[in-house]
Amino acid sequence: MTQDYIAVLVQIVLAGGFAVATLIASALLGKRALRNPMKDSAYECGMLPVGEGQARFSVKFYLVAMLFVLFDVEVVFLIPWATVYRAQIESGAGIFLFAMLGFVGILFLAYLYALKKGALSWQR
Amino acid sequence: MQVYYLEFFVVALGLVMLMVDAFAKLQDKRSLARLGILGLGVVFLLLFAVQSPSNAASPVWKFYAAPDNLSLFFKGVALLTTILSLVMAIDFAPIVLSKIAPPDQGAHPQAGLGEFYSLPVFVCAGLMWMASANNLVSIFVSIEVVSITFIILAGYMRRNVGSLEAGVKYLILGALSAGFLVYGFAWLYGITGSMELGPITEALAKPGVNSTAAMFAFSLILVSLAFKLGAAPFHIWVPDVYQGAPTPITAFLSVGSKAGAAIVTLRLVYPYLTSPVLGTKALAILVVIAILTLLLGNLGALAQKNLKRLMGYSSVGHSGFLIMALASTSYPGAVNALSPVAVFAYYIGAYLLMTLLVFLVLNVLNAADTGETLDSIRGLAKRSPFLAGILLIALASLAGVPLTTGFIGKFLAFKIALDAGQWMLIAAALIGAAAGFYFYLKIAASMYLDAPSSSDGAAIPVNLLTKVSMVILAILILLTGIVPNVIVKLFS
Amino acid sequence: MSTLEFLVSLPLIAALAIALGAPARCTALGASVLVFLTTIYCAINYNTSIEDFAAWQFESARTVLDMPGIPTISLAFGLDGISVVLILLSSIVLLAAVLAAPDESKVQGNSRLYYLSLLLIGGGALGAFTATDLFFFYAFHELALIPTFLMIGLFGRGENRIRTAWTITIFLSVGSLILLVGLILLVIKLGAQTFAIADLIALAQGQGIDAASQNWIFLLLLVGFGTLVSLFPFHSWAAPAYAEAPTPVTMLHAGVLKKFGLYGLIRIALPIVPDGFQHWLHLLLILLIGNILFIGLVTIAQRSLDRMLGFSSVMHMGYIFLGIAAFNTMGVSGAVLLMFAHGLSIAALFALNGALRDRFGDLTFRRFGKLGKSLPRLGLLFGFATFAAIGLPGFANFAAEIPIYFGAFDGDASGMNWLRWATVGALWGVVISAVYLLRAYRSIFMGNAPKVRLDDAPDMLLREMLPVILLIAGLLIVGFSPEVLNQYIRPTVNGLFLLSAG
Repeated sequence: MTQDYIAVLVQIVLAGGFAVATLIASALLGKRALRNPMKDSAYECGMLPVGEGQARFSVKFYLVAMLFVLFDVEVVFLIPWATVYRAQIESGAGIFLFAMLGFVGILFLAYLYALKKGALSWQR
Repeated sequence: MQVYYLEFFVVALGLVMLMVDAFAKLQDKRSLARLGILGLGVVFLLLFAVQSPSNAASPVWKFYAAPDNLSLFFKGVALLTTILSLVMAIDFAPIVLSKIAPPDQGAHPQAGLGEFYSLPVFVCAGLMWMASANNLVSIFVSIEVVSITFIILAGYMRRNVGSLEAGVKYLILGALSAGFLVYGFAWLYGITGSMELGPITEALAKPGVNSTAAMFAFSLILVSLAFKLGAAPFHIWVPDVYQGAPTPITAFLSVGSKAGAAIVTLRLVYPYLTSPVLGTKALAILVVIAILTLLLGNLGALAQKNLKRLMGYSSVGHSGFLIMALASTSYPGAVNALSPVAVFAYYIGAYLLMTLLVFLVLNVLNAADTGETLDSIRGLAKRSPFLAGILLIALASLAGVPLTTGFIGKFLAFKIALDAGQWMLIAAALIGAAAGFYFYLKIAASMYLDAPSSSDGAAIPVNLLTKVSMVILAILILLTGIVPNVIVKLFS
Repeated sequence: MSTLEFLVSLPLIAALAIALGAPARCTALGASVLVFLTTIYCAINYNTSIEDFAAWQFESARTVLDMPGIPTISLAFGLDGISVVLILLSSIVLLAAVLAAPDESKVQGNSRLYYLSLLLIGGGALGAFTATDLFFFYAFHELALIPTFLMIGLFGRGENRIRTAWTITIFLSVGSLILLVGLILLVIKLGAQTFAIADLIALAQGQGIDAASQNWIFLLLLVGFGTLVSLFPFHSWAAPAYAEAPTPVTMLHAGVLKKFGLYGLIRIALPIVPDGFQHWLHLLLILLIGNILFIGLVTIAQRSLDRMLGFSSVMHMGYIFLGIAAFNTMGVSGAVLLMFAHGLSIAALFALNGALRDRFGDLTFRRFGKLGKSLPRLGLLFGFATFAAIGLPGFANFAAEIPIYFGAFDGDASGMNWLRWATVGALWGVVISAVYLLRAYRSIFMGNAPKVRLDDAPDMLLREMLPVILLIAGLLIVGFSPEVLNQYIRPTVNGLFLLSAG
């Protein structure tokens, strides 16, 4: 049984080995001591960099992004459900439709909540 | 009525509370909490109307255990804890409001308070589910429902550094422990070929089971459960999170989360303990954890100056007694033996009463801006004899004074360890109990004997709901200390 | 609700009522009068014709914990001859202590807490003496610990009171922890299915416990119970605590609660681990002589009344231990009777000590003199109490000490054995207690007037005298007619020795 996993071990060794080998190679072969502040700064099309490296985004972007992910995942659950729907109905599992209705219903309430709390209104 | 309707009702209640908060123009959002208390109270009564399933073959029962008294008991614990946490949250409202962003122009002056009352209801549903989960998937999902909501609640006061720290610590360590849990589950599935606890138990009991792999899975799962229970050496987060989180949430975390973790631990560890192949090894690991937890929790509490932090260490110490009961499991076939399940259940019931009572008092002191250090309750008996008397009862019970429920809990834990002949455990527990006796009574003594630290001798206002809750809990502590059967009959 | 459940819950309910706002002194007084009447009722209706140990009358039991793997615990009460005497003692001293407590307005601090604690201590004592289940026997005694701690720490006298409160609490907690270990071992070794004391005794009559375990268990019980009774050398908590505690607490503790350890030895140790008792008899005799002679001499050396009384109460425990050590009907009966007599006399002495302290504060002997002239009533009562404590004929102490000496000197062995030598030593103790008590009486009430004028203090009022008169009346009644109590004690103690003979 253990032999089946040898491939995994080889994969791990290869992946780790490649990372370590690259680092060692760059340290050995790369030219050292050719650094100055200008060279270490970020490259922006030849312009001098302006401001912080990490710009601050409005929290609204994150809110919208999170809500998008949330409702996107809903679809991920809906598709497999839809593909087996016919088979399930024929086998007589009556709860099948209501299970998904409950799930979608909860998400619908969540959507209403987000809407009412103003999570989607851009200007406030 | 089928047992899973209880969770449906609780989730529906939570949704209704969110909708009411979003759509209704409430003058005072604290009435949301009252709605929650009322709703959860109704569900609590419905606990007694649960029937056994008519169709035991239904696929539902592959994810969700058919109701027995033990799971109903833990559902009751979850409901009661949530109700009392909401009672505390009502008093705590001004502090939460002062520690979240000031309302925008034209917004509701209590904006952001509604969720503080709705989220605990969802936690409650998760905890109730944990009590019935009998499948690795449903165990994991129910634990995550609880953990994720607790992360939000622990860091709820976002303008308070301590609360933020609590939230972040709970988030990172919670995620780590969830990882351990899933990895352990994966191994367990690999070994036993099943996600259901029943077949897993059978597979682990077979003589041919791969014991190295099984013990590896056990260790991974135990790391995660020890984190949830607050057992050493995975207890480091407990004092920090307990101190930083809003007091009602600390109370909820210390009782609700621990009760949920306790029942899940019982479900997951039991297959190992009853397995003739793995029992001894699993037991040895549990004994070490129990000894460490008993000593680190109780001795760590000795040096604490902050009451919430002290309660954190005390909660670690009580986890030690729980694990001690588990580590004293006698092998199957022992006739008429004290079952660790019963000790677990009783201890959790007792722990709920006394810990929540301490937190109710702490919460009132917090809300009255008295502070939460040991100094702040010096001379409390002069300022507020009522609160001091109530706190005295709770502390006496935590210390394990006879005729309180805490004594019975410790008595059962010691008895089962004695029966199992775990002398190292008993020695550690004796040291822990003695240290506990000292630091709990030291608080009681400073409350009565020391002069108040500030000259502010104004009486501390306690509203009616809180007062009633306190009196009921205090009476229950004494009653179950004299007649422990009141609790025992609920789960056996 | 049975009679005894009513009796035990009375003080506890009254305490609850006080906590909820009932007038403190009235409630406490009413409750203790009711307790007193109930014990009298029990004593009158007690059937003295049954010759058996632990044959409960007024029995009641409610199962409070039955779980597989745990001996069943019941909230069970019952009386036999020994407990009748002890609840009479408890109720009389409780009544006297409440009577002697200061009015609500004169209490320094929270007067509710004061009366509430008194009732809790009294309720704990009554519960411990009537419980027939080992679990509650132990638990009720513990109930009195926290109130005692609070009372000494909050209402005690002197700058050291908080230190004293911690000392007594730590001593008594450690003592009861050792006791608990002993009791648990005892139950496990017997393999008992219940905690009912009668069942445990019946099991001990059967296969019993092997000798080696008996030795261990008795030693644990002796140290545990001994610490609670201030057996030498575990006595050092007693004198400072009694000197600094508020008067009613001292009365209750020295008079009643301390008897719990002795009661436990007779109730548990003698019938269940008799071999262990015989094994450690010599040690017990040495320790009790330490109580009588060593502490006796220490008592003589005291310079103030309160500490002298504290030590004297430690010393007198030696006689009761002697009666138990005699291990025959006469000795043990005398020991039980002396528990009663000593409880009343020491409570009376401490009540008078309190009255003196209210008037003069510092109780050093050299400050006093010739008070008999200005305070005749106080002097008279103090004289009575002193004579009782010395054990003069006519007082219950005499009626109790004589059987102890005869019992301990009993037996047909010619020549001296350990027990007889201990008795001889104990008889010298009588002289010692006469010396210090009479000297105390002389230096306070007779002799020359002191330099500082003390004779303007008012004499005792009826309200102050009432508790002392009550106690002394009890001593005189039993002293002149010991049969009043012996009728209860005799059949039960006979039963105890029928057990050990069979």
